[in-house]
Amino acid sequence: MAGAVESSLVSEDTSGTEAVAAGVVGIAAILFGISLGSMFELLSITDPIAGIPMVALLGTLLTLLGLGVIGFGLGSRFGYVATDPRPSAGLVASVAFSGIWFAVGGLVASQSFGLGTVGWVAVAFVTGGLAFAGTALPREDIGSTLPVGVFAVFVGVVFLTGVIGPSWVWDLGWEQQASFNAEFSIPVITAFCSLLVSWASAKAYGGFGARGRHVGAYLLVYLNALSIIAVLFLLVAFTVFKGLPGLFNGLTFGLGSGPETTLFGFTFAWPFAWPFVMNGVALLNDVNGVLPAIVGTIWLVIGAVVFAVPLGVGAAVFITEYADRGRFTQVVEVATNGLWSTPSIVFGLFGLAFLVPRLGNGKSLLAGMLTLGFMLLPLVVITSREAMLAVPDEYRDASAALGVTKWQTIRSVVLPASLPGIVTGIILGVGRIAGETAPILLTMSGSVAPPGSQTVDVIGGFSFTSSPPFVSNPELLQATSALPYQLYSLITAGVGQSSNIANIEQFRWATALILLVVVLSFYAVGIATRYYFRRKLQHE
Amino acid sequence: MTTLSDNDGGGLRAAARREIQRGRDFVDETEPEALVTVTVAAVALLAAFVGFLTVSSLTAIPFVVFLVASGYGWFRHQELTARVLTLTTTISTILILGLILVFIFVEAWPTVEYATVTVFGIPLPGLRLFVEARWSPVTPPLRYSMVPMIHGTVLVTIIATAVAAPLGVAAALFLSEIAPRTVRELVKPGVEILAGIPSIVYGFIGFTILSPWASDQFDIVGQGTYLFVGVVVGLMALPTVVSVAEDALNSVPESMKSGSLALGTTDWQTMTSITLPAAFSGVSAAVLLGVGRAIGETMAATVMLRGSPGLTEPLYNVFYGNDTLTSLIAANYGDADGLQMSALFVAGVILFITVLFLSIGSQYIEARMQQKLGGAE
Amino acid sequence: MSKTSQTTEDETKRTDQPLEVTAGETREQTQDEWTDYDFESQAKFSVEDLDVYYGDDHALKGVSMEIPENSVTALIGPSGCGKSTFLRCLNRMNDRISAARIDGSVELDGEEIYQDGVNLVELRKRVGMVFQSPNPFPKSIRDNISYGPRKHGDLETGFLSNLLGRSDEDEVDELVERSLSQAALWDEVEDRLDDNALGLSGGQQQRLCIARALATDPEVLLMDEPASALDPIATSKIEDLVHELSEDYTVVIVTHNMQQAARISDQTAVFLTGGELVEYGDTDQIFEDPESQRVEDYISGKFG
Repeated sequence: MAGAVESSLVSEDTSGTEAVAAGVVGIAAILFGISLGSMFELLSITDPIAGIPMVALLGTLLTLLGLGVIGFGLGSRFGYVATDPRPSAGLVASVAFSGIWFAVGGLVASQSFGLGTVGWVAVAFVTGGLAFAGTALPREDIGSTLPVGVFAVFVGVVFLTGVIGPSWVWDLGWEQQASFNAEFSIPVITAFCSLLVSWASAKAYGGFGARGRHVGAYLLVYLNALSIIAVLFLLVAFTVFKGLPGLFNGLTFGLGSGPETTLFGFTFAWPFAWPFVMNGVALLNDVNGVLPAIVGTIWLVIGAVVFAVPLGVGAAVFITEYADRGRFTQVVEVATNGLWSTPSIVFGLFGLAFLVPRLGNGKSLLAGMLTLGFMLLPLVVITSREAMLAVPDEYRDASAALGVTKWQTIRSVVLPASLPGIVTGIILGVGRIAGETAPILLTMSGSVAPPGSQTVDVIGGFSFTSSPPFVSNPELLQATSALPYQLYSLITAGVGQSSNIANIEQFRWATALILLVVVLSFYAVGIATRYYFRRKLQHE
Repeated sequence: MTTLSDNDGGGLRAAARREIQRGRDFVDETEPEALVTVTVAAVALLAAFVGFLTVSSLTAIPFVVFLVASGYGWFRHQELTARVLTLTTTISTILILGLILVFIFVEAWPTVEYATVTVFGIPLPGLRLFVEARWSPVTPPLRYSMVPMIHGTVLVTIIATAVAAPLGVAAALFLSEIAPRTVRELVKPGVEILAGIPSIVYGFIGFTILSPWASDQFDIVGQGTYLFVGVVVGLMALPTVVSVAEDALNSVPESMKSGSLALGTTDWQTMTSITLPAAFSGVSAAVLLGVGRAIGETMAATVMLRGSPGLTEPLYNVFYGNDTLTSLIAANYGDADGLQMSALFVAGVILFITVLFLSIGSQYIEARMQQKLGGAE
Repeated sequence: MSKTSQTTEDETKRTDQPLEVTAGETREQTQDEWTDYDFESQAKFSVEDLDVYYGDDHALKGVSMEIPENSVTALIGPSGCGKSTFLRCLNRMNDRISAARIDGSVELDGEEIYQDGVNLVELRKRVGMVFQSPNPFPKSIRDNISYGPRKHGDLETGFLSNLLGRSDEDEVDELVERSLSQAALWDEVEDRLDDNALGLSGGQQQRLCIARALATDPEVLLMDEPASALDPIATSKIEDLVHELSEDYTVVIVTHNMQQAARISDQTAVFLTGGELVEYGDTDQIFEDPESQRVEDYISGKFG
């Protein structure tokens, strides 16, 4: 039994095949790039590339790719290439290919030959069924290449013959209008084809079989991860690019060039002037800014943290340390998780119904603070509880064995040990609520473009009164602005409301950028804190 | 999970008696002064809460009493005060969920009552909200149908899930099983940052870039399509799916994965045949949470959609976008009053309940996965 | 290090002794000895100068040994001595640990397994492994056994193959019965093959894992303390099993139980703290008359 058939550990030299497969993947990648470029209008499908019309070029390349893939399959089937295929390409590939060919058959029948519903469905089922059989029945090397190759050749021919040309339009005929035109369809179809072809040739590269599937799947998984990162990068980079001019408009340095500020009775002038973050919006401003919104956001965050952190950490201490694990803790857990996933707009509605009538009967900063506090609360409970559960029971036992009371144990052992987790959770939570628009929209929204004079001054607003509640702060009970709300109102505002702002487009992008900077810096700090504590923990 | 509850065995009355006995013992054992202090604090807080509920200007007085009493207790009887205070915070957390439920229901009731339909002599409140498709808050007959908004939310959620679920699960697989250590340490914070970008920024980019582009590409009159709102919302739900699914995949014991690899399978076979099936419930909980996020996403839908409630024609026309439940609230709260305002609360109730069920469902699934894998150890 | 070389030199003087003890610099001398030593059968594995590092930790130091075919080789030593690390080098499971770095050469039937282009799937098909604690998959007993062959494409099951009439259900049944019988588990689970494997007892789970490894028809079976988590009855069943398996398979077994090693193995290798292979030879000889004082101390229980 043992050693009966000894296959070699190292596979035979297949560098030739691998080079061809890699070449096919390379061409597919170029095609993918071209189609992305033309989808986002960096390239036009009507312009020629190197003297060849774009559509013809795409068609030729696709046909070549398709032939290449078919070549792989045949080469492997007839033993010119050493591979290790399975008897069948598998269920997933069969279903996927029959889906593609179902669509092809249906579209050709209904659009090119103008068949009615019954006709095109029948044709679609025939092509889909054929593709299923063509994938599932033959050996894997044929099953996973032939349907793909034929599809690519088909698309290539369609492009080459001009059935789908630069001026092609397919009107869907829907009441509210929508149609596919060549500008969109050609790149999308090309991109899809090149993905399919890459997958098939990656499979061939791996020699089909388990290894081929592994290579094919990894190609797609890597591509997916890469594109998510690319989207993230694009989003941030685009916002930065568009927002920077507005953000630094009128920035000047120099002693005394900035506005004067009075802090604790001491007046000083800033050594630089940064109009966008130091001004409000006013008719006479050279450069308008978002100072009231920045200050509003800061106070909102402070208010929410002051409200939610003691409550949340307290609740986490109780359910982790005092309460027995039972129904009660389960209810609390379900409640906090439920609160955490509650849509932010529902918190807004709640604030509107519960807080606004009770806090000066109008939209106010305080209502906004509390609403965001309600949103922050479940996150604080969840992360604090997680951090406390992660503290080993041995610590508690050791402390209890020394005769220390429960609260002393919590205060001197559990809380310090879980502090990093709690702090990280709070910072990430703050990042989240700082960018929330929906709740404050309903509870504290102020004017669209507040002037600098409307900047809230919470500290200066406190005053004592003779009647209950003896302390009043009109600043807290006033509506003000915050960065996310400001951006929202700038988007939806009509022309008249923001007529003071000269370059509204630039102003919007700068607002979006500064919001992004504020929120992402909370995240960066939170992630860095976690990283720091983790490193510290590992090194101890 | 093992210690579910004390009263599972004994029956409710025995449990209640035990609780009362425990309470008596507690009272007997504790110093009377400490007991008085925390009682005063608790009663004062309760009074403050009642005062706040009834919009009393005297709310501040009991609140100050509470602060003084708990401050005194903190210095003299820290042990007990800490315990009572943390209990108070726990109860407040549950109370907030209860208050949300009560208040949005109360505010929603007038419209529900208005939309009563009598079927076979039985009045069914709120039925008309779901059987008609007409939203007409100004021109009589006044109708506040939720059907168009539910349709919009469903379309957006389906598209968002189609984007977020496969990409999210694949990215989670990449992060937990495939990526080298260094790559993982770079990509993971990246995904978290993606979660951090405020929804209004997504909405803004969608509104200024994506919507005009879509109108141009598909020859649509005007701007706003469910398709691209769905894509943007899916992108927003993606990080939730990735991080929860990654946790689930990581919780599959390494011994199972090694066991499969040692039999001579590829990494991919191990992932699809062992890791994913073992983590299936956790991964589906991740997708459910992502769906919940997508349903509740407000700002992108508000700024990108047209804000004119109505069904699209045909129903699967995703190249047109009217309103979702969330955008209805955000876009109309300003000039709504009376029944229309109440109708917005109806939308809030629908959202709240749907997402709450999704959340409880995903928690249940996750608990089951913990049990299952716990048995494997 | 110096102490080790001292021992090595002592031993290399007696060239007629059939054992090899190596520590880096004296490797060539000991290699000469191997040629003198007449194993009953040819070498399945030849390991030369194998070093393993986990980050800064030098887990295995210059180990060289030959493992003969169709016999039981026991690796013993105190915990942390590197015996499990060595075992995991033989099917390259250490590749899973990204911090691990491996130097040296391991040949399976004369073919280097640490070279570029080695197909790990092929290697692990030929070199099966049973882990310290039983790790059945959360699937039915039948699916656990047929998992390897199905993934290798040797057996076709599932919806599509049923549809195409290619299903190998009969072969699966045959394989399941054969493998479970080999692992002495068939009688106990015969009537519940479709139950979840996690419902079996610890000893049954471990035998299931052995059956699962045998189902892929390996040449070598690596066992990493397979009985450490089991009760005495289950342990003795596993020991009997190992003994029977050695007729057809090359078994390499790690154990911290010296009686177990003495009972079941043909050759024994003793690793001592620090990742060194101190002594290697016939089991009887190692236990009755060890060369090295350290090995004698270890075996007689003076340290370890």
